[in-house]
Amino acid sequence: MGRLVLQWYRNRGYMVFMVDSVPAPGEWVFLTYRLPRVPSAPRLALWRKFKRLGVAQLADGLVALPADVRTREHLEWAAEEIEEAGGTAGVWVARPSTRALERSVIEPMNEARAGEYAEIARQAQLARDAAEPERTRGLRRLRAQMRRVERRDFFRPPQREQARQALKDLAGQELVAPMEVSS
Amino acid sequence: MRWATRAGVHIDRSACAWLIVRHLDPQAQFVFVSGPDEVPDDATAFDMRGAELGHHGSDCTFETILRRYDLADPVLWRIAAIVHEADLEDDHYDAPEAAGFDLILRALALAHTDKEVLSMTAPIFDAVYGYIRRSVIAGGNPA
Repeated sequence: MGRLVLQWYRNRGYMVFMVDSVPAPGEWVFLTYRLPRVPSAPRLALWRKFKRLGVAQLADGLVALPADVRTREHLEWAAEEIEEAGGTAGVWVARPSTRALERSVIEPMNEARAGEYAEIARQAQLARDAAEPERTRGLRRLRAQMRRVERRDFFRPPQREQARQALKDLAGQELVAPMEVSS
Repeated sequence: MRWATRAGVHIDRSACAWLIVRHLDPQAQFVFVSGPDEVPDDATAFDMRGAELGHHGSDCTFETILRRYDLADPVLWRIAAIVHEADLEDDHYDAPEAAGFDLILRALALAHTDKEVLSMTAPIFDAVYGYIRRSVIAGGNPA
C-alpha cells in the first residue's frame, strides 16, 4: 500500500503523489533450508545473496523477507540454487502472531539499513571537500551504493532521507526534492 | 509447440519468450500458469522452479536457454547481461541499462496482460538486438 505525500515544487506548486508501496502488513516470505557444510563455495554464494537481499536471519536455516512478488521470486530462486548444491529448501508465506514479534524482526533490519545510509551520508560529506574529478567519481560511486541499499530496504528508516540529502548536496543540487521513481 | 511459464511476466520471461520465437520455435505458443503443477503435458516449461530451462548456478533463464541451445551470438550475450542484471540485481555484469528495462517491464506488467506484454516487448527486443548488433560491428554507439 502506498502513502500519499504532499510535496512543494518551486515551479509547480504542491503536488500529491504516492510514495513507494510498503509490503502488505504482516505477510512475510520464509526460506527454510539445509545446505551441506562442505563444499563451502555454495554456502558462501548463498551468504552473499542473503546479504545483498537484506534478509532477516531468524534461525539457523531460516531467513525471511517482507512478502511481495519480487522477494518471493528471489527466495524461490535461492531455494533452487540450494537444491542444486545438494541441499533442501522450502519457500513459505507466513504471518507473525503478534505485532511485537514482527517489530523484533523489522528493527534489526532497519538498524542494518540505517547504518548503511549513515555511511553513505558520511562519505558524501567527505567527498564534498574533494576536488574534481574525484568529487564526481565519488558521487557516481555513492549513488550506485545508494541504489543497492534502497533495494534491500523495506521500511525506509529516516537515515535514508539524510543520505539522499547528502548526495544531493554533493551533486550541488537545490534543496528541493525532485520527484523520484523507484521500485 | 507450446511453452509454459509463470503468470506475471517480467524481464527474464519476456526476453526468453522473444528468444524462443526468434531462435528456437517461430510458431511458439505461450501459456501462463501459476506453478509447475499446472504446466500442460505437451508444453515446455521455462523460468520456473524445477524446470530444465530455469535459473541454474548464477545464470538467469535467458542465459540458461543460450547455453542449452548453444546460442553463441555475442549480441544475445550482451542482451543477456541486461536481462540478468534487471532480474537478479547482483552486479555480475556492468549493465546500466538494466534499471530502465526493469522499470519498463514492471510498468507494462501492471497495465497489461501477459500476452499483451509479450506482444509489446518483442519489437523492443528486436530493435535492441539491431542496435547492439550495429554497435558490435561498428565498435561504438550507432546513434
